[in-house]
Amino acid sequence: MHMTRRDFLELALVTGAFLTANPVQALAKMSYEDIMRFKPVGNVTLLFTTDLHAHLEPLYFAEPMNLVAPKKLMGKPGYITGKEFLKYYKIAPGTLEAYFTSCLDFPKLAHKFGKMGGAAHITTIIKNVIAERGRDKVLVMDGGDTWVTSAIGTFTDGKSVVDWMTLTGFDLMVAHWDFTFGKDIFMQRIEDLKRGGCEFITQNVVDELFGDLIFKPYSIREVGGAKLGIIGNSFPYTPIANPKQFVEGWSFGVREDQMQQFVDELRQKHKVDAVILLSHDGLPLDMALAEKVKGIDVIISGHTHDVTPTAVKVGKTLIVIAGSHGKFVGRLDLDVQKGKIRDFKFKLYPVASNLIPADKEAQKLVERYKKEVTKKYKLDEVIGEAEVMLYKRDTFFSTWDWLVGEAISDYYGGLDIVTSPGYRWGTTVLPGQKITRDHVYDYTAITYPLVYVMKRTGEQLLTVWEDVADNVFNPDPFYQQGGDMSRMWNVEYSIEVNGPQYNRIRDVKIGGKPLKKDKEYMMAVYGGPPPPPDMVHPDYKPVPVYDILIDYIKKKGKIKVRTEPNVKVLDAPYKAYGQCYGG
Amino acid sequence: MLSRRDLFKVAGVGAATLLVAPGFVGQSFAAKKSLDDALKEKLGITQKDLQASELIKVKAPTIAESGANVPVEVSAKIPAQQVEALYIFIDKNPNPYVAQVDISPANGEVYFATRVKMGKTSPVRAVIKMKDGSYLSAFKEVKVTVGGCG
Repeated sequence: MHMTRRDFLELALVTGAFLTANPVQALAKMSYEDIMRFKPVGNVTLLFTTDLHAHLEPLYFAEPMNLVAPKKLMGKPGYITGKEFLKYYKIAPGTLEAYFTSCLDFPKLAHKFGKMGGAAHITTIIKNVIAERGRDKVLVMDGGDTWVTSAIGTFTDGKSVVDWMTLTGFDLMVAHWDFTFGKDIFMQRIEDLKRGGCEFITQNVVDELFGDLIFKPYSIREVGGAKLGIIGNSFPYTPIANPKQFVEGWSFGVREDQMQQFVDELRQKHKVDAVILLSHDGLPLDMALAEKVKGIDVIISGHTHDVTPTAVKVGKTLIVIAGSHGKFVGRLDLDVQKGKIRDFKFKLYPVASNLIPADKEAQKLVERYKKEVTKKYKLDEVIGEAEVMLYKRDTFFSTWDWLVGEAISDYYGGLDIVTSPGYRWGTTVLPGQKITRDHVYDYTAITYPLVYVMKRTGEQLLTVWEDVADNVFNPDPFYQQGGDMSRMWNVEYSIEVNGPQYNRIRDVKIGGKPLKKDKEYMMAVYGGPPPPPDMVHPDYKPVPVYDILIDYIKKKGKIKVRTEPNVKVLDAPYKAYGQCYGG
Repeated sequence: MLSRRDLFKVAGVGAATLLVAPGFVGQSFAAKKSLDDALKEKLGITQKDLQASELIKVKAPTIAESGANVPVEVSAKIPAQQVEALYIFIDKNPNPYVAQVDISPANGEVYFATRVKMGKTSPVRAVIKMKDGSYLSAFKEVKVTVGGCG
């Protein structure tokens, strides 16, 4: 159980659940058996996880309040949140499923249902399905963003997660952030995976000069008597969104023409019964891709952290995505006969860690690595307490990013702006919850954590922000990068998301004063490609962002940051804190 | 940046006569020309004379990994004997003209691949001058971005 004794007693008193062995089970009106219930279909079962972000231990992770979209994409999967999400998928508010898929009343429901995810619980689900179906009928896949961005992942060079994948029985994988260990460590981990029986497949990474494939582009597997061709696509914009130095000499991109060739090759030369794309493209891009590349039966998507309780259909292609942070294990059963998918059934298993027992072996593995990392990084040390909900995911603003801005500004002094990248990963700290060092690493444990201070003119700032805005709001997913807008501390602005390219941002104020194009501002950045050394202000030493945060939270103790966004959206709905997370 | 050697290495890919815009290597971004300026100067036409054609395919990344070095591949499902020359323009470059490739029946097909430098987000345009005097064109928008920083 991931509940304190006090939580348990409170719950028990409020609900009368003290009479049952498992109070969460009583509250959720659901048991392990209920969660696992699935009437199998056909001869093939695909199991998949994605965007675990190295969260081997259960956590809280709220779905976003906002996924602000350009008009053309509004209301489509990937851009629905909160109440609208529950309505779209016909999920009753207040239920376990609502807690996992919507931001609505998150803190309240978190107290009711407890933590989510956790490697050992995922293992239980996967082993359970394999036992029920038979190993020969099941293919287990992971969509990447798996080894890095938590203390236990980053500070073990991803080894902890790879060992867990081997223990659990993963078959195939693609990547994104995983590349940020750099080529040497990355290739070593791929070798470790291979020894454990898991293949890394990727068609869209090639030698920059000659165009040769770096990895095996696809894998052909006999599953349940059917021949499946599985093509891999790793994150197409890795060298742009992350420092290029980690993948020097490799070129990425969507490479949809090459993908079409592989689809045709699988069908014509290898006579496969079905073609599956395991992707880290992001849901909107995969939906657009399914219109361009013909002959893909199923896309197992990743990257944008979306949750699809039912499969999205684009033409003849089924597209599914299993959220993030270990909250879900996806299962797609297929009836594949003579080159055709005759029937399918899809479900996302919510990894409710209070209802799904931990796999003993996996639990031991996680504990061993946790202990090892804790020795040096003191992960469980309490450094403060949250007075508002700390979260990161949103299109423009988050309490966590505002806290980062405050902390960095406090550390260096004299800053006009702090920008924080629009990653979609992190954790959630509930109001009243103790903040540990581990929480800080959950938000910031990257392999290039340094904060840089530099001078930028108002015009240069605007150019960069407009550029990022186009990567988020371009109406064609092929021109997006699948993240959220950069967060700007001490800045207020308005935005027209459907405005012309590079002309969406209006009325920028820095420290309450209108931005002047020719004025020089002192800004701090982190989480992007490192700036050229001569651009970094010589009086400000680069320091890891997590060290700054840990010291600041310790100093403040109680953490209360503003909850009202610093951004006004002129032409689309934009929900505020109270509408999802309560007063 | 593309070095002179790299340029010739990639230019060798298209087995055709290649005329490179003077000043393309280490191109100065000082003198700005519009696409119409460049079309007029090179071909004596304007955008109005270009006929959009689905027979031409421009292959390039939607988002460039580096504006200094963008791979571009042009192919056309048009018999080589009907074609006089293939041109590449980057609409929003300070000097949009990039390359002229004279096509002869000996080429067998209309195909050319190279790498171009792009100052900012722009259509990458292929123009084919037909022997009958008409101009066919197709483009692909390529985004040049600073990426995830900031």
